[in-house]
Amino acid sequence: MDPSIYGEWEAVIGLEVHVELNTKAKLFSPAANHFGDEPNTNISDVCTGQPGTLPVINQEAVRKAVLLGCALNAHVAKYSRFDRKSYFYPDSPRNFQITQFEMPIIVGGSVTADVDGIPKTFGINRAHLEDDAGMLKHFNRFAGVDYNRAGVPLVEIVSQPCIFSSKEAIAYAMALKAILQYIDASDCNMEEGSLRMDANISVRPKGSKELRNKIEIKNLNSFAFMGMALDAEFKRQVKEYVTQPHVDPSQIISQATYRWDADKKETVLMRRKETADDYRYFIEPDLPPLVLEEEYIDAIRQLLPELPYEREKRYISTYGLTSDAALMLVNEKTLADYFEEGLKVCSNAKSLCNWLVVEFAGRFKDSGKVLWESGIPASYVGKLVNLIDNGIITGKIAKKVADLMVENPQKDPEKIVQENPDFQPMCDTNELEAIVDRVLNENPQSIQDFKNGKERAFAFLVGQVMKVTQGKAPPPLINKMLKEKISKIKDQNP
Amino acid sequence: MYKQTALRLHQQFLDKKISAEEIVRYFLQRIEKLNGQVGAFLSVFPERALTQARALDQKRASGGKLGRLAGVPVGIKDNIHVQGELTTCSSKFLANYRAVFDATVTKLLEGEGAIILGKTNLDEFAMGSSTENSALQSTSNPWNLDCVPGGSSGGSTAAVAARLCPITLGSDTGGSVRQPAAFCGVVGFKPSYGRVSRYGLVAFGSSLDQIGPIAATTEEISMVMEVLGQHDVHDATSLPLHAEDYLSLIQAPIRGKKIGVPWQFLQDLPAEAKENFLKALEVMKGHGCEVVDVDLNILKYAVATYYIIATAEASTNLARFDGIRFGVRSKRAETLEQVYDYSRTEGFGPEVKKRIFLGTYVLSAGYQDAYYKQAAKVRVKIIDEFNRAFEQCDAIATPVSPTPAFKKGAIQDPLEMYLQDIYTIGVNLARLPAISVPSGFSKAKMPFGFQIIGARHEDALVCRLAHAYEKAAPYGLEVPPQFDKEV
Repeated sequence: MDPSIYGEWEAVIGLEVHVELNTKAKLFSPAANHFGDEPNTNISDVCTGQPGTLPVINQEAVRKAVLLGCALNAHVAKYSRFDRKSYFYPDSPRNFQITQFEMPIIVGGSVTADVDGIPKTFGINRAHLEDDAGMLKHFNRFAGVDYNRAGVPLVEIVSQPCIFSSKEAIAYAMALKAILQYIDASDCNMEEGSLRMDANISVRPKGSKELRNKIEIKNLNSFAFMGMALDAEFKRQVKEYVTQPHVDPSQIISQATYRWDADKKETVLMRRKETADDYRYFIEPDLPPLVLEEEYIDAIRQLLPELPYEREKRYISTYGLTSDAALMLVNEKTLADYFEEGLKVCSNAKSLCNWLVVEFAGRFKDSGKVLWESGIPASYVGKLVNLIDNGIITGKIAKKVADLMVENPQKDPEKIVQENPDFQPMCDTNELEAIVDRVLNENPQSIQDFKNGKERAFAFLVGQVMKVTQGKAPPPLINKMLKEKISKIKDQNP
Repeated sequence: MYKQTALRLHQQFLDKKISAEEIVRYFLQRIEKLNGQVGAFLSVFPERALTQARALDQKRASGGKLGRLAGVPVGIKDNIHVQGELTTCSSKFLANYRAVFDATVTKLLEGEGAIILGKTNLDEFAMGSSTENSALQSTSNPWNLDCVPGGSSGGSTAAVAARLCPITLGSDTGGSVRQPAAFCGVVGFKPSYGRVSRYGLVAFGSSLDQIGPIAATTEEISMVMEVLGQHDVHDATSLPLHAEDYLSLIQAPIRGKKIGVPWQFLQDLPAEAKENFLKALEVMKGHGCEVVDVDLNILKYAVATYYIIATAEASTNLARFDGIRFGVRSKRAETLEQVYDYSRTEGFGPEVKKRIFLGTYVLSAGYQDAYYKQAAKVRVKIIDEFNRAFEQCDAIATPVSPTPAFKKGAIQDPLEMYLQDIYTIGVNLARLPAISVPSGFSKAKMPFGFQIIGARHEDALVCRLAHAYEKAAPYGLEVPPQFDKEV
């Protein structure tokens, strides 16, 4: 099919983001909310659905949900309620989930994120509290259930169908994730499942306002997979419509649930919606309505920290970072905090940012570790930038120093440079002059090119000097020498 | 000793006239000798009880602080947890289920020195009005062993009637404490919803269930309520109220209190029950109460409303009995679906299955609006009508049930059985406190019960009125002839 056809269509996407709150205890029981422990150790009688147990709401979870509502600029309901959602599955200890179906704690609100540098405000439909299920583990001849996760507090945040591309979907989800981390509502660790996404997607001809049948892609556990899944599903749906122009659109795509197959790189049908469960929602009789006072909500609102979007704008206006660079810092709160820590010793924000999001990020990429957990103090990265800016080392040597910092996180880069003769700058001007002269003699054409206005020719000459000195010549000094000497060489052109 | 009230036993223990061990041995022996006839207890814990009794005696000897129920033997309905002991709910499903924690009421009772002798029979998961739905044992009415004890707390009321122990706990979802209390000629109290913690009570209808005490007299009920009637952090529906001083509150005179009677609602009351009820009202008038007519015709919808709400809640409460984590797991099952299907098919009795079906149906998409949501609206209306009635009176009086205890197997039609609770069910829907006090006997010498209903939170007033009634008409002190003897 002619790929240009896709340009005539747009996706309509709504995201449901499930976030595990990082409370100490579970939503309705005092058992610990902690990932990665021995199966069935973080459980209480409530978590295994023992008869006679009753749920009691965790106030810490309520506080975090209210804070989220404030951060989303949403209406925090003064009166919300819990409902039972019935379905049988071994990971559900009561065979009903306690959720907020009719009256959620958060109504409305929005998330602002830059898409291609242009701000877009994404509308939130609602967000509600509910408890997570346990996890099934399949063994050779049997299956086991781990109830450590059963009852962990979840907030499900449902967006409006206001997302029109996978790029927007990722921008929205990343911005939402950043907000959750900034208000310390969740660690948002996607590998551990603390943030999971379901996406609803339909397509329509561009310019049309209709909403065609949507399908749901379940359990997207990374932004990259979500992007790929949405792109694949967008193309699949467009293809279906385009190849059947005379069929009623409602007959072409029918409501169904899909999952993303990362190996095959395609969406795979799980079940059609006609056979969907009837959850038989009704008011949870064991829990009174959740009634919140205005003062309570206002007091929590006062605790809101600077949110990622404000921080991003600040980085752009104060430090002159590009939108992309600012976003890379801001979307990982700990990284942004680390950046600001580094700024205490270093004033070159742009260079510092580059060292964080490019150089050091690259050095940790394969190990799966991250800079801010590596033990390297932010001030050391700041000092490294200073070493370059003060002409002590070249960028090239700085990269080697950075390698050693990764190996020895507690070692001050100044010390690394001092202890390593190869990293010492060449300060012998006589020796340097000799090298500069040699380079100039060997490259008359470049001198001429530079005199004719080619800036690149000068950079080439600097590079040649660096090559000979193995990068140890201080760039400011070399620049100065080269310029002085070239200005004394007579122009070859008449 | 069996004729003594819990108050007197407690006092004698405090006065060192008798040891806790003697009391416990005495009642354990009565249970051993008589339980075979009445079938009230499902399980008895002689060792546990005697160990606790000896510890109590030790405490008394060393001058330790003795609780408000020290030395009082109690029985617990077998849907309330006593840690380490079976909680069967009289269901095959839980025949081997041992409680992993103490119910709040168990903790409170034992904390005040009560000694739990064992667990009593009930209709499976408290679903029934005759205890005939127990999958484990048949319980008889001590006044006539061919008759049912009522239900679902039939084991608890029969135990008190046969004087196997002075106090038991039951649970009341639609009349399950009051109706069997009336059938067995003892006092049964259903507190305001939320007055007594439900933590550790295996749920049937969560918005209706309430644990309540059963005894021969209202003073004993009051003694227990002083201990049980307090806020519990483990139950989110628990009322934020402190324990009240029932024993002194019930002594106050009741002169001038207005008793409302919903005459029109009671128009179909059979002649013998009506006669008994009128006599009881005369007793109240004799105390200086004024009887006024109140309109509670809305209660004709109570049974239908109840059977929608209670079964809806039950269908989800009982979903956890799936054979995965505890209880029966069918040996035939090979797949997950079969574990669910076969375990539940084998584990649950017919009445329980019927109610799960009904509850699932009324909550289903397409039916929920017509049934569950409608019933929820009627419930609000019932609450409104009760509130209106309480503007005209201090308490409302009705019979407990239309007839005295019937013969085992006599009622086969489920709707007829459900109508057993016609006078008691509205109280649960409206979350009110109500008491059933013995009010005399039928020609066949079977007990009748008189029900006094209070406004929300007026638990102590209900007990006060009942106490005044039984001072003039102490039918609760009568012991069924077959059990009126030492063993």
